[in-house]
Formats: sequence, structure tokens, C-alpha cells
Amino acid sequence: MHELGVVIDVVHTVEEFARKNGVTRIDTLVLQIGELSSMIPKYIEDCFPAAVDGTVMADTKLRIEVLPGNGLCGKCAKAFNILANEGACPACGGRDWEILSGKEFMIKEILAC
Amino acid sequence: MDAFKVLEIKKSVYEGNDGRARELRSELKRDGVFLLNLMSSPGSGKTTTVVRTIEALGAEMRIGILEADLDSDVDARTVSRTGARVIQLHSGGMCHLDAEMTRQGLSGLGTEGLDFVILENIGNLICTAEFDTGASRNAMILSVPEGDDKPLKYPAMFAMVDVLLVNKIDAMGFFDFDMEALRERVARLNPDARVIPVSAKTGEGMAEWADWIRTEVKEWRAS
Repeated sequence: MHELGVVIDVVHTVEEFARKNGVTRIDTLVLQIGELSSMIPKYIEDCFPAAVDGTVMADTKLRIEVLPGNGLCGKCAKAFNILANEGACPACGGRDWEILSGKEFMIKEILAC
Repeated sequence: MDAFKVLEIKKSVYEGNDGRARELRSELKRDGVFLLNLMSSPGSGKTTTVVRTIEALGAEMRIGILEADLDSDVDARTVSRTGARVIQLHSGGMCHLDAEMTRQGLSGLGTEGLDFVILENIGNLICTAEFDTGASRNAMILSVPEGDDKPLKYPAMFAMVDVLLVNKIDAMGFFDFDMEALRERVARLNPDARVIPVSAKTGEGMAEWADWIRTEVKEWRAS
């Protein structure tokens, strides 16, 4: 369980961003989490209330967008979802691939005024 | 109702830690303290390896040890018998150390007069790979009983290390461990990683390990 420490870090970053940009109220925070990241969206949601407690984000809603874990086959150059295909290229069966996306953990944007 | 607007941030969450790690790394460089981040799963022989490393290099380097654990101080007690400076860090349930925790540990230990600090990270092959601690080099121990298939299961860890110790080779006869298969799997993920088979129990391979550290410290000082 490493989500809490990371979410507290996220809250600090967003607070800092809000301060610099003169934002007083943050309605929604949007995070992007890759399918291949070690961050589990459910755990992030669970610890979010604890991380924002007592901050300017206490009433902020959290929205998580999941980014697909896609790979590029090293043999036949087909792009495919690594998880859905259990790590094997659906075209040639190759297991030698490069990750195209899915490791991300990004603070995408905030809805604010 | 207030009109909300969308403000793009587009920032990697790891960015904060990465920045703090870079800062710590350059401070340690300035102070001449080589920090080695040692990672592995629980029970791979990290503490025994640390003790052996102190025995091998204690005469030529002033060594400090950061022992990170969820709880207890058994490892710190074992290591303190070598006479090296040691401090126990409790992560309080966190499964990895980040740059800030490492910095706090180093200031608790007191790096003054030290040349070489080993950070014995939490026993875990997943999260420890994702958080830069600010270390000068990253090392990992894989022990023979864990199996030669681990690079397939925990690729992120094997892809980020500078050196891999394969420990407990004295127990090789009891397990189906294929050293060549392991080397191939590691090379596929990380062609630059050095693989050193050792037994922290019998001392086999520890001379090669000590030489690796000497060489890396020298390169790091010259860089």
C-alpha cells in the first residue's frame, strides 16, 4: 500500500499550482493512471479523503482516467493491449514488445474557479 | 453556481520525488558520500550481505548503514555488531523509501566523515523500483530459492539496477536454478547490468562484489 504517501504528494503539488494560479476553489481533480502502473485506482480513491482532509481540497472531487497498457510487437510491429492479450501479440504470438503507454501516473487537470 | 474552468496541469506525480532525488544526489556528490540503494525481496540475505560488505571494505572506507523496515530493529542490531554506524528507519507500513525519507534517514545517521552509505531498502521488488531515492547506484539481490524466473515477473526492478547479486549460490544444488537462463533474462531487460553470483554465507563471490563497489566509487568520484 503505497498510495497514501503518493496521494499526499499529489495534493501538495495541486495546492502549489492553485496558489500560483490564483485558484481559490477546486471542484474536481483529474488524475490519469496507466493500466501498467503500480497505482491501483481503487486504493487512490480510498485514501483520497484522508489526504485532502484539512486542506483547501477537502471538498474537491476526484476523477480518475485509466490509460490503456499498450505495447508494440518487436517482431511484427503490431500495437496491442498487453493486459487483454496476456502479454502475447495477437497477430504473431510474440512476447518481445515495447511499452507504448500505460506506465503513467499524471495529474491531468483541475476544474476550478 | 460558479463557472468552473479547466486548468491543465499535466505533471507526472513522480516529478516531485524525482526532483528531490536529483537534489539529494548532487548534495551527496558534493559531500563525497557514495550512496548505494540495496533492494530485494524479504529473506534474500540483504542484512548478511551488508555485514559481509562491511567486513570486506571496512578497512578502506568509512561505512554507514540505513536499515529500512516496516517495523523492528533486528537488522540494525545485527549490523551494529560490525562497528559500522547504523540507523534503523521505520517506514510505518509504507512499502518503499522515497528521496525525502532517505534524506531524513541520512540526517539521522549523520553522514559527516562517511565515504560510503548503504541504504537497505524495504524488502519488496515492486514499489522500491519506482521511487528514486537519490542513490548514486542501485543494487539488487536475488537469492537462488526465489527462482530464475523473477526478471519475467518483476521487470521494472531488473531494468533499473546497475548490479545484481545472485545470493545463496551455496544452496544451488537444492533448487532448479538456471544461472544462464537468469543472465539471459536480465540481459534482455538491462544489457548494462552486472550479474555477480555470491554466497553471503560462505563468502564466495564477495571479493568480486567488493571490487565492483571499489570501481564504481572511483568512477563516481571522477565523474
